[in-house]
This record gives sequence, C-alpha cells and structure tokens, in this order.
Amino acid sequence: MKLIPAYLRTVLLPALIVAASAGVALAQDIVLGASVQLTGPVANTGRYYRDAYQIAVDKINAAGGVKIAGQSRKLALKIYDNQSDVSLSVRQYTQLVTQDKVNLLLGPFASNFALVDSAVSEKYRIPMVQGGGASDQIFDRKFKYIFGTLAPASNYFGSTVEMMKALKPKPQSVALLYADDAFDVSVAEGTRPKLKEAGFNIVVDERYSTNATDFNSLLSRVRSGNVDVVLVAGHETEILNFIRQAKSLTVAPKMYSFTVGVPSDDFRRALGKDADYAFGMTAWLPSPDLKDRWFGDAQQFAKEYEARFGYAPDYHAASAVADVEAFVQAMEDAGSIEPTKVRDALAKIHFESLYGPIAFGENGQIDLPQVVIQVQGDSLAAIYGAKGFIQQPKYPMPAWSAR
Amino acid sequence: MKPWRSKPWRIAALVLALAAAAGVPWYGSDVLIQFGINALLLAVLAQGWNIIGGYTGYPSFGNSVFYGLGGYGVGIAMVKWGLPFAAGLAFGVALAVIFALTLGVLVLRLRGHYFAIATLALSQVMAAIVSNVPLADRNIGLVLPPLNNDPFFYELALGLLVAATLCIYVITRSRFGFGLIAIRENEESAAVMGVNTTLYKVLAFTLSGIFSALAGGIHAYWITFLDPDSAFDISLNVKMIIMAVFGGPGTVFGPLVGAFFLSAVSEFLSSEITSIAGLFFGLVIVAAVVLMPRGLADAIRNMHPLGWRYFASNVRAHRL
Amino acid sequence: MMDLLSQVVANGILLGGLYAVMAFGLALVWGVLNIVNLAHGAFIMLGGYLAWHLYYIVGLDPFLGLPITAVVMFALGYVVQRGLLNLIVRGPMFNSLLITFGLEVVLTYCAQLAFSADFRAINPVYAGHSVSIGTVVIPVVRLAAFAVALALTVGMWTFLLQTRLGRAIRATAQNLVAARLYGVEPRHLYAVTFGLGIALAGVSGALYGTVSQINPYIGASLTAKSFAISIIGGLDNPLGVLVGGLFLGIVESLTTLYIGPTYADVASFGILVLVLVVRPSGLLGKAA
Repeated sequence: MKLIPAYLRTVLLPALIVAASAGVALAQDIVLGASVQLTGPVANTGRYYRDAYQIAVDKINAAGGVKIAGQSRKLALKIYDNQSDVSLSVRQYTQLVTQDKVNLLLGPFASNFALVDSAVSEKYRIPMVQGGGASDQIFDRKFKYIFGTLAPASNYFGSTVEMMKALKPKPQSVALLYADDAFDVSVAEGTRPKLKEAGFNIVVDERYSTNATDFNSLLSRVRSGNVDVVLVAGHETEILNFIRQAKSLTVAPKMYSFTVGVPSDDFRRALGKDADYAFGMTAWLPSPDLKDRWFGDAQQFAKEYEARFGYAPDYHAASAVADVEAFVQAMEDAGSIEPTKVRDALAKIHFESLYGPIAFGENGQIDLPQVVIQVQGDSLAAIYGAKGFIQQPKYPMPAWSAR
Repeated sequence: MKPWRSKPWRIAALVLALAAAAGVPWYGSDVLIQFGINALLLAVLAQGWNIIGGYTGYPSFGNSVFYGLGGYGVGIAMVKWGLPFAAGLAFGVALAVIFALTLGVLVLRLRGHYFAIATLALSQVMAAIVSNVPLADRNIGLVLPPLNNDPFFYELALGLLVAATLCIYVITRSRFGFGLIAIRENEESAAVMGVNTTLYKVLAFTLSGIFSALAGGIHAYWITFLDPDSAFDISLNVKMIIMAVFGGPGTVFGPLVGAFFLSAVSEFLSSEITSIAGLFFGLVIVAAVVLMPRGLADAIRNMHPLGWRYFASNVRAHRL
Repeated sequence: MMDLLSQVVANGILLGGLYAVMAFGLALVWGVLNIVNLAHGAFIMLGGYLAWHLYYIVGLDPFLGLPITAVVMFALGYVVQRGLLNLIVRGPMFNSLLITFGLEVVLTYCAQLAFSADFRAINPVYAGHSVSIGTVVIPVVRLAAFAVALALTVGMWTFLLQTRLGRAIRATAQNLVAARLYGVEPRHLYAVTFGLGIALAGVSGALYGTVSQINPYIGASLTAKSFAISIIGGLDNPLGVLVGGLFLGIVESLTTLYIGPTYADVASFGILVLVLVVRPSGLLGKAA
C-alpha cells in the first residue's frame, strides 16, 4: 500500500468499490426492474408502487408465472430506492439495464421522474410501463418505449364538471386553484374550457406554489366571493392544509373537489371527520365488476392487499399492478421476452384487469374515465361515472358548525 | 526523498490518471460513465466553491444560483430560441456573470455566517422568481431535446474539471491568489497592505460562478429536464461544500478528491443498502466532521506519522 | 374589500406568531453559542411527532402537553450538544453548518424509518373552532399558538436578563474565558443552552402539528423560514424574533393577496436579502 502515493490511494479505492458493486440476476426468471421513491418527500406514495409491484409478481408466480412458448417462467423484481432524487433515478435505471441486466422496466412515481427516466428506456430500447406519471410532457416526446397507465391530466375534472351540471341547486360560481407543477397546470388547462362550456362562472382562477402551506388568503377570497364550488388541483399536503384551514376559517362552499388525496386511506385518516363531504376522483375503485385473471376482481385484490400490507390500496397501487399485468400479457401475446417484440405487443394490447380495460393510445398513454367519488361518513362512495349518477351526492355541504 | 515523490513522477502520475479518466467511455460500463459524469460535475462545483469559499474564506451558499442560471441559460436558449448547446452555455455564463457582478458587490460586504445566509436567501429568491418567469415555463420546467451521447457529456465534464483545477493551480501561484488568501486570513490587514479587497472578492465570486454555471448547463442538457426546484437545489450547494471541505478547502486537489470519494460512497450505498443509504451518508458526514475537521487531504498527510491517534487529537483540539 | 384586507392581515399576524415560536430556538442557539443549526427544522419535526404520540396514544392535549414536549426535547438537545456538538465547537466555524446538516439527514431518515412517510395531523376537538371579531374569523388554534409566542417572548426575555442561569449563558456567549474564570462550566452551559433551543423547537413542532401536517421531510423548509425570521428580527433579543415573525407573516399574507400566491417566497427571501444587505443586525438588533 505504501508504494502507491497517498493521493492516488484515495481515488483508486472508491473507484474499485463502484466497479465492484454489480447486481446478480437469476438465470431463468424474468426480471422487472424499477427505481422508486422509497424515501424522501414523496415516499408515502412511492411505497404504493413497491408494494403493488411485489404483490402482483407474487400472485402471478403463484398462478404459474408467465407462459411463453410452452414454458412457464417466473417473474422476479429488483427495486432501488432513488431517495426522491431525479438524477439518481436515471443512474439507477441505467444500472438496472446495463449491470443488473433486467428484462423489462417498471416506472417510478411522479411525472418529472417518469419524464426523465423514459430517456433511459428509449436509449436502451427496453419498454417501460409506468403508472406514476400523467403529465403530457412525458408523451409529447414521441418516445416509443414508454407507456403510461395513468389517465391524462387534462381530463381529471371531466366527470366532475358533468356532475356539476346535474346538481340541484345548480352551482353558479367556481374557484379553480392549482399548484404550479406540470401535472396540475395541465389539469387546470383542461378544466377551464369545460367549465366555460358548461356555463359556470370562474370567479377565482389562481395558481399557487407547490408545497404551499398557507391558503388563508385564497380561502378568504373564496369566502368573500361566496363561491359555490372550489376545485383544487394539487398535492396531498397542500390539500390537507387547504381543508384544515377552510375549517378553521369557517369557509364552506357548496362543494369542493380535489385531484388527489380523497381516494387514499392515509389522507382520510389524517383528516378524520373533516374529510366528510370532500369530492375527488379516481380512475379506479375496488369494485367486483372489474374482473382480473389473477386476483379474481378488484374487490378481492383490495382485500388481499390490505391484509398483506396493512393499508388499503388506491389507484396508484392498482395502476402499478396493471403495469406488471400488462407486461405479462404482452410477453404472452408476443410469445417472447425480447424487448422490441414486447414493446410492439404492448402497443397493440387490449385486456381486462382489476384496474379496468388496459389499452394504450398511440402516444403510449391509457385513456380511462375518472369516476367522481365523495367521502360520505366513514366510507368512500362512487357518485358519478360515465353513465351518470351511481349514487346520490351529499350536496350542498353544510357550514362547518352545522356538521 | 523517495523517488516517487519528486516532481516528474508526480506529473507523470497525474497525466496517467488523466488519461485513465479520459478513457473511461471506452473501457468503462455505462453505469460507470454516468457515475463519472455526475461525480465530475460535482467535483467542478466543489472546485468552483473552493475559489470563493476555500481560498477567499467566504462560505457561499449561493453557488446553486449560478448552477441554476447556467442550466436555465442552456434550457431557454435551446428550447425557446432554438439555439445550439454552445450558445446556451455562453448565455448561462453571461447570466451568471451579471448576477455575480451586480448582487455579488452587495452581498460580499457581509462576512461569515451572514454572507452564508445571504447567499442562501438569494438562491431561494432566484428559485421563486424563476418559477414565475413565463420564458422559463415557470414552475413546470423545461424539457430539453434529448441527446443520447453520454461519452460526450463525460469528456465535456472532464474537460471542465481540468480547466477548473488548472485555474485554481494558476491562481495559487499568482498575486491574485495571494490576495485572496490574505483576505481569508485577515481582511483588514489585506486592505491596509493595498489589496483591492472588493475587486478581488467580486472576481473570485464571478470566477466561481462561471464554473458553476457551466456545470449547471451541462447537467441540464444531460438530464434533459430542468425545473426551479432541481436547478436551484439548496442541498446541491450543501453537497458541494461538504465535498470541498471534506477533501480539504484551500488546496488544489482537495475538493476533487472529496467529491470523488463522497460520490463513490454515496453511489455504493445507494445501490447496495438502498433504503437506508441516505441515513448512512448522514452518519458519514457527522463522523467526518468530528474526526477529520480539516478535511481528507489533511488526514492523509498526517495519518502516516500519527496513525489512528490523528482522529483523537482532532477531537481533543476542537472540543469544548 | 376592507373585510378581506383585515382578514388577511389577521391571518398574517397569527401566522407570524407561529413563525416566531419556530425561530426562537434557532436564534437562541445561534446568537449565544454561534452554532448555526441546520437541523433545527428536523427537531421541530420531532417535537411534532412527540406531541402527536402524546395526543393519540396517551390522550394528552397538545397544548397541555407542551411542558412535557419541552422537557423531553430539552433532554434530547442536552445530549446532542454534550455528546456531539461540543466536540466541534472550537473547530472551524463552518463545521457547525456541516455537522448539523449531517444530523438533519440522520434525524430525517430515522423519522422515516420509525414513523413512515405518512402525514400525521394533530386534531384536537377544538381544532376547527374559531372566534369572530367583527367579520374577521380567528381560528382558536392559531390564537393559542400566538398566545404561546407572546408568553415565550416574555419568558425568554426575563430568563436571559433576570435569572442567574440566563446571565451565565449570556456571559459565556460574550467571553468564554472570562466566564470560566467566574466558575461557569462551559460544557454544561452550552448543553443547557442548546437544550433550551431544542425545547423551543419541539414546542413549535407541537403547535405546527395542530395547524398543519407532520411528515419526516418538513424540516428543511422550516429551517429556512426560521433563519429568515431570526435575521430579519435580529439575533440579539427575543422581541426581535417576535417582530421578525410577525413581519414575515404579514408580508407573506399581503403578497399572496395582492401580488399572487406564487410570489410569497420571493417576498420573504427577498426581504431577508434586503435586511442582510442594509441592516445585518436585523430590525431590532443593535447596529454593528
């Protein structure tokens, strides 16, 4: 060691460490690789993906695995934690492909991650099916190897606006509040024309900073303007703040609806009784009508998921399971695990799953309608779908003191 | 003196190391190349910080502003105006220089902690301002045209690092450099001795900013995505400081070594222990500050005579 | 319009009170010990989790439980200073920044491992209640937090100026050697001061949990806010922190109303830069 000058030692050693850290892939298994946010600010949603990928792989293996050319092969999963760091996720996907030699890629959560990571799947021509990013930016680049199972952002409030037209008494004024990130801006841009077309008056149209904690000013404006409906496109923590501050400022519009949070277990738990009356939307509900080859139906899936992981799944989890199932279906359709063949099979795929009908548009994105849901007491009720009212909504929302 | 410590041998070793580093895109794996790009850019940032923080003694938390401006320079130029990458880099550097000259003069009047906080606040302000600028697509961020050429980015980053290190080497042997060190040691005396402290400080800040901006521009094009949060990321600034200080501030190679070492450790942890990688990294930093407060360079130099007692002596010297 | 303005100003004042409580601990540690604690926000977060557990597991109201939160966090702070930070106090000034950064990372990850990344909120029965003064609605919880802020300001002032321990702390800050000559044990005193700072952080965390949500990652932005307030108000006295907090709260609320919700950060950090450049000792600090 002494023969090597000290200043070279400190560079050689870490270089060796990096070169030595290689992953080992099992020979016969088909390996699906993913870099997910398991720690960092969005970890509480990231874990839905890790758990859902795992339960899907386990369930499919239990049923015999993937049947290709007469042979049954099992699936394996390799997941890295990208610590909510975009740069690291790119390097981890590169590592999954080049070093760990995984066969196919599953996506991360969040649009900006999916956007950047899709460059890796495109470069190495290995298909990535992701259920975490819905922003247009991801699909605007016309990449061929990225597929998405989250519905387009611009249509999130579509069914909500339809429902609003049918409410009695019909609301007049609307406040549209949205965070300033790509996804929420897309939601707002898609919602505005729908509202105008339906004849609603948008009295407050405000973009706020992502991670804003203080909605008091905006809420004061909602109150002084006597707004009937408030639509918020944002992130879980902002919406939690919004609702709690609405309560403390006694702001109670006739109705409010949020793009995230309402379908999720921990969100409703954090608010307790204050979650009542809140509207949201989901492209997925654990309904027995959604039949699935491996899980039976969505309701059984939800039960199994909750029994295993201790919390109820939401559309993130269902979307992630759909990603795994889409790959299996594509491999069986193509009769091969070769990436380009799987990719082509994915483009033409069409099957029913616990998440709903899986088919990708030309740009690689799925198109599913959103169902309007509402927190009613202790449960989540499906209110309005493609065919109209499923259940009666609790409308209008009473004043906070009258609850 | 042992033969391999003599100057010709050192130079030969350096050239060899440089050749080995430059050759990575040929013999290295894809993962290694990407790790290399990341580590090289961090090393550039650390060296850039070294100029204002290590040599001049002004701990800047604002280098992330230059990094972000460089990134947005490239982003706006390429996405909004359709200009080539080189033009984008030039634009980014121009932005950084303007910023350093105008705000630098104001902020460099402060010392120590106050300077640190002022620069930290500036980076937050810039992030907030940029998220409101329509030309930069506000908070949505810019999506740059993809370029599938990691070796290009690698060599570019390597070239930038060599330039930064050479720059520092030249500075240490110039009057400018002596002036900076004088400012660091005792600014009043330096002024009395005739050093134009304001000019020197602003120059150091600008130089540091130019390197940071170039690194930011390269990173933006490489990752193909840029938004205010990631461009003006404060934790990046802290990372570059840690790497510079860990390696040995105020030395030519210290920050370089610190950057590579810490990057390697972090990458290794992220791929092997994955979920608790962050935790371990934090522990490594805490341990390093307690046991090696003067940096890795100092530790290596003194490990030989003192051995493990070096760490204990450090603690004894700095504790209350 | 006048109604809206007065509501927004009231919002700002109440927000400012909460901000002030968050910044007290940081200002104390920084002003007295010259330790720049980048982990301050992480300690606020831990205080929040502590209060959450006290409420949901023991059933102790977060406000009534403040003394317990304070005591436990004090003990934590004492141990951290005595066992860790005291080791680097006489080293390069910079190292306090680095080590507290590392500490922040460690605390955040430990919280993630222990509590998961789920959001936790402290929802006592009165959490949504409010008091009305004319047309202005004042949430009870924020009013209580404001009262705590006032109480702490008065308390800290009295403590630092009137009590023996307080004066010993200030003496140590001024002149370590002289303090030693007076028989003050610096290691213990430093630890007590830091403990106090962390106790204050913990208390603000409990309050924060009743007003907003806790998750392991809230630390960083809270630290940044606390810095801004400490500087704007001035590190020299507790009243400065209160003024700084109020100032920032009102500025942010008014900016959100008149300029736009996405400009709040521009305003708060812009003012911070302005204060630093024009009057670094802060609004209430003694001019250098």
